[in-house]
Amino acid sequence: MSVPTTSVRPVRARWGLRMTPFRIILLAVAGLTVGIVAYRLIVGLGAPTNLTDRWPWALWTWWKLTGVALAGAGYSTAVVVHFLGRNRWRDVERGAFLTSLLGYLMVCAALILDLGQWYNAWRPLVHWGYHSVMFELYWCIGGYTVVQLVEFLYIFEERVRVPASMRRVLERIYAPLMIVGAMLPIFHQSALCSLYVLAKGRLDPLWWSQLLPLFAILTSFYVGPSVVAVENHVSARSYPRRVDMGVLGEMVLMSAVVMALYLGLRIGDYVVRGVLPELFGTALGMVALAELVLGVAVPMVLFMVPRARASRPWLLTAAALTIGGVALNRFNIVLVGMTASTGEGFYVPYWMEAVFVLGLAAAVILAYLFVVENFAVLPLEERASPAAQDSAARDPTRVIVPRATSSTCPEGDRG
Amino acid sequence: MLGRRRFLKTAALGVSALAVDAAAPARAAVSMPEELGRQHAGDPAVLVDLTRCVGCGSCVAACKIEHDLPWRDDQPALGREAALASSNLSVVRTATAEGRTRSVKMQCMHCLDPACASACFVRALEKTDEGPIVYNGDRCVGCRYCLVACPFGVPTFEWDETFGRVQKCDLCWSRTSAGRPAACTSACPTGAATFGFRGELLAEAWRRIDADDRYVRHVYGETEVGGTSWMYVSDVPFEALGFATDLPDEPLPDYTWEITRLIPPVAVGLGAALITLWRRRMRVLAEREGGGEP
Repeated sequence: MSVPTTSVRPVRARWGLRMTPFRIILLAVAGLTVGIVAYRLIVGLGAPTNLTDRWPWALWTWWKLTGVALAGAGYSTAVVVHFLGRNRWRDVERGAFLTSLLGYLMVCAALILDLGQWYNAWRPLVHWGYHSVMFELYWCIGGYTVVQLVEFLYIFEERVRVPASMRRVLERIYAPLMIVGAMLPIFHQSALCSLYVLAKGRLDPLWWSQLLPLFAILTSFYVGPSVVAVENHVSARSYPRRVDMGVLGEMVLMSAVVMALYLGLRIGDYVVRGVLPELFGTALGMVALAELVLGVAVPMVLFMVPRARASRPWLLTAAALTIGGVALNRFNIVLVGMTASTGEGFYVPYWMEAVFVLGLAAAVILAYLFVVENFAVLPLEERASPAAQDSAARDPTRVIVPRATSSTCPEGDRG
Repeated sequence: MLGRRRFLKTAALGVSALAVDAAAPARAAVSMPEELGRQHAGDPAVLVDLTRCVGCGSCVAACKIEHDLPWRDDQPALGREAALASSNLSVVRTATAEGRTRSVKMQCMHCLDPACASACFVRALEKTDEGPIVYNGDRCVGCRYCLVACPFGVPTFEWDETFGRVQKCDLCWSRTSAGRPAACTSACPTGAATFGFRGELLAEAWRRIDADDRYVRHVYGETEVGGTSWMYVSDVPFEALGFATDLPDEPLPDYTWEITRLIPPVAVGLGAALITLWRRRMRVLAEREGGGEP
């Protein structure tokens, strides 16, 4: 979340969403998913999924774990900008924040729809099972989603008139909001994988570890810059936005350092637990090896080589590998590593389950497009679109700038 | 579980955001199986002697009557395909190993320190002071973490219900809380399932093993995940009969507790660090402003 700057403008002058054939397909998938959700709410969880007592968590859980990890782009960027003071990163901060907010909303929706008695979702507020990792997860994910929704108000009120009292409140709560917003994700990112610490003996030792919470924090932190890099480039295809390779290069270099730490810990953990030999020769070992080599080591090296991270195709390749590596890691924890203990063979999802996942992703993309077209999120090129200039001309000053941070973004940085 | 006490202390020291539910039960002080076994020696328990079971299924019938559950064709409760399911809190599974066929009664093991109850974030599953682990379906959200957490694969889910709940043997809590034996053990015609106090049954199990060398020298449930209230003796290796045998002797909740107990101190430390960093940055920015930055 950031205080707006003069070069950040919404793309559209009027409310709306531009329609393209691709977006119509997204809309269709999202529409189909609404139907699946209705069906699931009527008949329960058995019919629209292939879940069983042996496979109580599967595809949707993988999607939630992956979604939250990728949405870590928001907090990792915010921590670096606001707590480590890298002002240059502000350009990418709003995009990362939006990706994060939408990711969390998606995960919250998926979480609630995955509950048997979803109308009891309020119960953890009253009945505190504090010894459960799920309890931490519930409070932190819920709390962080609320924090992000409030943070979005700073962007919202640039375009929509809000009562003056609300603006005053927003100014007051800015600092505590940012601090809580940095703390909560660190907790629940770890909690998501800690869930599986209890599955000792069921989750394959290649993935079970007492260090799962630490691995989860590190992966969600280092994947952030990769998500930002992809988000920057993909949105640049549709909008005249600025992509600052210098900032991205700086971000992925930080990633690479965290990745090295993660890789060292993973291998060290294998050695200490005596699991290292299993990495070679067994089928599961190959999967774990692929995860560590292709998903961590290769992109890490690419990020470290100055010429590779300065080149768009190499940077994006490495970013894609990093994202794929994190998704594969969660896939291995939730599905591959649990297969043997279920005694039922590998999990094959029912088509509705798969469409549900795609539908949530489609809804997130559509929501992202709507927000960037109607609110000031992307740092536009100086040679901005007429619509953006129009909007800027009509309303150049309606921005909230909390006093304490009024000069956080020196214009000199923006050229 | 000294950690839990430490947690209570830390919480009392003023981490109000993570304050402990007033109803938090005092937890056991030590978690090793022998200690747990001593503490729970007086718990209601069952000893199953697989050499005495003839596989008649009387126990399953008694269970279904006691809990008013249907016999479902798609959820067999007897035979080789028998598996715990939402209509089967107890089954008798036929297994053949080393040329010998045995009937294995399966139900909730009622762990001395249960993973399911520690996984439950609304306390729908709770271990009673007396021992049995009971389930409050009205409170359950249906997240199924207990299904993932249970090392024996016991809890099951009502997949075909609009509002699915969990199903699990409660050791006939309505009977055992009144001092009566569980329905399945009362129905057993061969004495394969014996109801009693855990400490006495464990001694009886070893008496039988010591008296007859055909028994495997292991009481299944004595130490598995810290010990369970259901215990088995057998003349066929447990692993060959499909029992989970690679379980640790430490109670599983300890593994998670090592992590969750760190939350209050980490929260305080992290919060302090972030506030410090934030203040420092504000100071830097203010200085820059004072220095005539545009």
